[in-house]
Amino acid sequence: MPSVARIRVIFENGDPERVIEFDPARAPFQHDGKPGSILDVLLGHGIHLEHACGGNCACTTCHVIVKGGGNTLSASDDSEEDLLDKAPGLTPTSRLGCQAMVEDPDAEIVVVIPRYTINQIVSEHGG
Amino acid sequence: MAVEYEARVARIVEHAPDTRSLFLRGPRLAFRPGQFISCLLPVGGETLIRPYSIASSPEEDDLEVCLNLVPGGLASPHLLRLPVGAAVRFTGPWGTFVLDRAPEAEAVFIADGTGVAPIRPMLRRALATATRHPLRLLYGAADPERLLYRAELEALARQHTGFRFEHVPSARLRDEVARRWVDGDADRCRRFFICGVGEIVPALRDLLRRAGYERRAVQYEKW
Repeated sequence: MPSVARIRVIFENGDPERVIEFDPARAPFQHDGKPGSILDVLLGHGIHLEHACGGNCACTTCHVIVKGGGNTLSASDDSEEDLLDKAPGLTPTSRLGCQAMVEDPDAEIVVVIPRYTINQIVSEHGG
Repeated sequence: MAVEYEARVARIVEHAPDTRSLFLRGPRLAFRPGQFISCLLPVGGETLIRPYSIASSPEEDDLEVCLNLVPGGLASPHLLRLPVGAAVRFTGPWGTFVLDRAPEAEAVFIADGTGVAPIRPMLRRALATATRHPLRLLYGAADPERLLYRAELEALARQHTGFRFEHVPSARLRDEVARRWVDGDADRCRRFFICGVGEIVPALRDLLRRAGYERRAVQYEKW
C-alpha cells in the first residue's frame, strides 16, 4: 500500500476547506517551491497559493499557519525565518509554503491560508 | 488572487549579448526601492511565475527589469525574445528587501552580477537621503566589462564624496568582504544589503552574522 499523507487546507477568506491526500514520494507535483513542500502539494492538486517570487524563498506571499502536524514538516532555516519575520500576521507556527516540506509519509497536516498578503499600492500612469 | 497589471515593452537596452534591460510602460506602480514584480509568462502552454527585481527608481515613469539568459531556463529566453511593443503581465510590487532612506550607520551594499538590479534604486535612495555616514558598494562581476550601470555608478561616486564604488571579481567576493568588514576592524555597527544569485548570498550573510553583526543589520535577497 502506498503511503497517504493528508493536508487539510482552511481558508481564512471563508472558501470551503479542502483535504488533499497524496503520496509524498511522488513529489514534485509541479515546478514551483521545494519538491514536496506545502506549495508544491497545493498547486499540484489545484489549490491556488500565492507565490510571487516563484517559490524561491524571496517573499512571504505563500505564508501559511500550521495548525497541526508541524512536527512532520522539514525544519525552517535562516532564510525562511528571516522572511517570516516580515510576514504580516506572523504566528508562532507560521511557515513559508514554498519551504516547508512534508517529510513524513503518513503526515496529517492542517494549514490555514491567511486572507492577506503584503500590501500593494498602484496609481494611474503619470499619477 | 493578486491584482494583475499589463505593461508594454517601451524600450530595450542591451548591456551584453545575454543581458538586457526591459523598460515596461503601463500602470504606474508605487513601490519601495528593492522590490520586485512577478511576471506571468505564457510559456509552453502554461503560465510561469517569475520574479524580476525593479532596477529603476520609484520616481521614474517606466519599470526597468534587468535580466540575463539563464542556461536551460524557460522564462528568460521568452523575455529576452520580446520585441518593443510586446505585452507583459505582472503582479506586484512584492518583496521585503527594501530601503526607504539611508541608515543611521555606514551602509554597505554588496551586489553580485545582476544582483545589482534592486541595489541600484536602493543606493540612489540612500544617496538622496544620505547622512554623515559613508555608503559603499562592492560589486562582484567576472571582469569590469561585465559591470552593469558602471558609468552611472562611477558618476555617482564622483558626485558624492561619501560614496565609494569598487569592483571585485565574483570569485573573490567572500574573501574581500571578510578582509574589509570582518578582519579589517572591530566595528560591528555597519548595515549590509546583499543581493546576488545562488549560494554566495547566504554565505556572505552567515559570514557577517557570525562575525558579530546583528541579524537585522544584514539584509539580503537571494535569487
